[in-house]
Amino acid sequence: MAVDDISFDVEEGQIIGFLGPNGAGKTTTLRILTGFLPGDTGTVRVAGCDVSRDSVRVREAIGYLPEGVPLYPEMRVSEFLRFRARLKGISRRERSREVGAALELTHIDHVRRRIVGTLSKGYRQRVGLADALLGRPSVLILDEPTVGLDPEQVIQFRQLLREVGRERTVILSTHILSEVDHICDGAIIIHGGRIAAQDTAANLRRRVQAFSPILLEVKGSEMMAADLRGLSGVNVVQELEKVDDGYQRFHVRPHSGRDPRAEIYGLVRDRDWTLRELHQIPATLEEAFLEIVGTPDSDSASPGGNGAKKRAGKK
Amino acid sequence: MSSSTSSVRNIWAIFSREMASYFFSPTAYVVIFLFTITNGITFYVYTASFHTETRQIDTVIQFLFGYAPFWILLLLIPPILTMRLFSEEKRTGTMEMLMTAPVTDFQVVAGKFLAAQCFFMLIWSTILFDVFILEVLGNPDWGPVFAFYIGLFALGALFNAIGLFASACTRNQLIAAVVSLSGNLFLFFLQQCRFIFVAEAESQRFFDFISIHHHFYTEYSRGIVDLRYLFLYLSFAMLVLFFSVRVVESRRWR
Repeated sequence: MAVDDISFDVEEGQIIGFLGPNGAGKTTTLRILTGFLPGDTGTVRVAGCDVSRDSVRVREAIGYLPEGVPLYPEMRVSEFLRFRARLKGISRRERSREVGAALELTHIDHVRRRIVGTLSKGYRQRVGLADALLGRPSVLILDEPTVGLDPEQVIQFRQLLREVGRERTVILSTHILSEVDHICDGAIIIHGGRIAAQDTAANLRRRVQAFSPILLEVKGSEMMAADLRGLSGVNVVQELEKVDDGYQRFHVRPHSGRDPRAEIYGLVRDRDWTLRELHQIPATLEEAFLEIVGTPDSDSASPGGNGAKKRAGKK
Repeated sequence: MSSSTSSVRNIWAIFSREMASYFFSPTAYVVIFLFTITNGITFYVYTASFHTETRQIDTVIQFLFGYAPFWILLLLIPPILTMRLFSEEKRTGTMEMLMTAPVTDFQVVAGKFLAAQCFFMLIWSTILFDVFILEVLGNPDWGPVFAFYIGLFALGALFNAIGLFASACTRNQLIAAVVSLSGNLFLFFLQQCRFIFVAEAESQRFFDFISIHHHFYTEYSRGIVDLRYLFLYLSFAMLVLFFSVRVVESRRWR
């Protein structure tokens, strides 16, 4: 079983990042949300409807971009989008307007006559997003939407997401944390089929700030490391490379919740070392991620497991 | 919007995409080419060799609709038309795109099946040109022609349903084609079982009755259409389509 006992809520209008390493169960979870796969137990509600009981209603409310953006390669862009608009029940009168709007919003109006199979990855991605936007879904579910894009396209895509995400609930999966940092209101970290953490991006950062190392660059005696270890707020001292002029760099990891910077300064002053740098390295979500999923004592290290439960609440 | 109109609309949307995709891919052209060439040669050979006999025109029609080239094409074309329907979508992943749109599994199966059936009948309709030529040359009996077409429709539905079922089961087009061709051949040769029961007239009649080709020679060729066979083929086709819907939705319960 790919996911096990997952439960989360997403508020209306939020952009939520669904994070995890490859094989964590992101795609499976999203497929369950869209009704493509069933959950064994538990309930999933999207836009107020139960996914297993009201599947078609839920699918009407969702715009879904599957992983890898599967499109019919032999169709022209506008043909494909018209076909999708028909499937989504958009009336003939509104179809061309809707398709036009989606083409415009995703900036692919100039390739509407091109055959999908000849488009580059970035353009296909946008065609997929245009498709997801058809029918004005209130929920957008995007599976790894920026994989395979070049950096410029990634930036464009994020901008696009911010635009379309203004009046929609967006769930996007990714294994790139900076993505969440850039566009998401909150993040759900999934690992080994379980939710490892769920919080706002800012809160997640604050949570690991406590663990983030302090960089120290000083010149003094040979015993500096031992002295630093003697401080009460200090957990681990890591001796880094010697830099020029006899300065020594350290990574100092505090005990959780403690900020030993003042203590360190006090020590430097007492011992009369020369201080060149003292600062806490700002936590990135990468560290948050490693901190949360990478701790060896957590049981989430084994992906899979034999439990077969799934519970997800979603607004 | 009521659910029945949206159902028809979804089936129609899938139907027209599948129809269009036949013409986007070389499939349509290859099949039509093979078909018209085979039938053209058949038609020429039969008209050329029967011109001395009495009732020549009607004999030609019966050869067009009942002899070796006809059966080879009839058994072969449905697998070619249907092998792509689901397996291609599964292989490329577009299945996920399709099934997360607000369409039901039934609508998808129905749309795809109707496209295959419609294209199938379109291909066979080219034989009508031969019959029109005969009409110019003489005075053919249209009764058997209509009977043949009705029989073709029912058998085509059955074969297309079998092909669609095979396609729904695998992501490999070749496997789908081989499986559905085997199914067709099995039905075709089923009548041969009558020779096991040489002494039992009842059993022989049973195998003649369920035979898919026996009626072409004994009844359609005389312009007779027995509704019982049609119901047999069409209900069997329905059954296979029903199983196909179950296979498509099986991803939800396995």
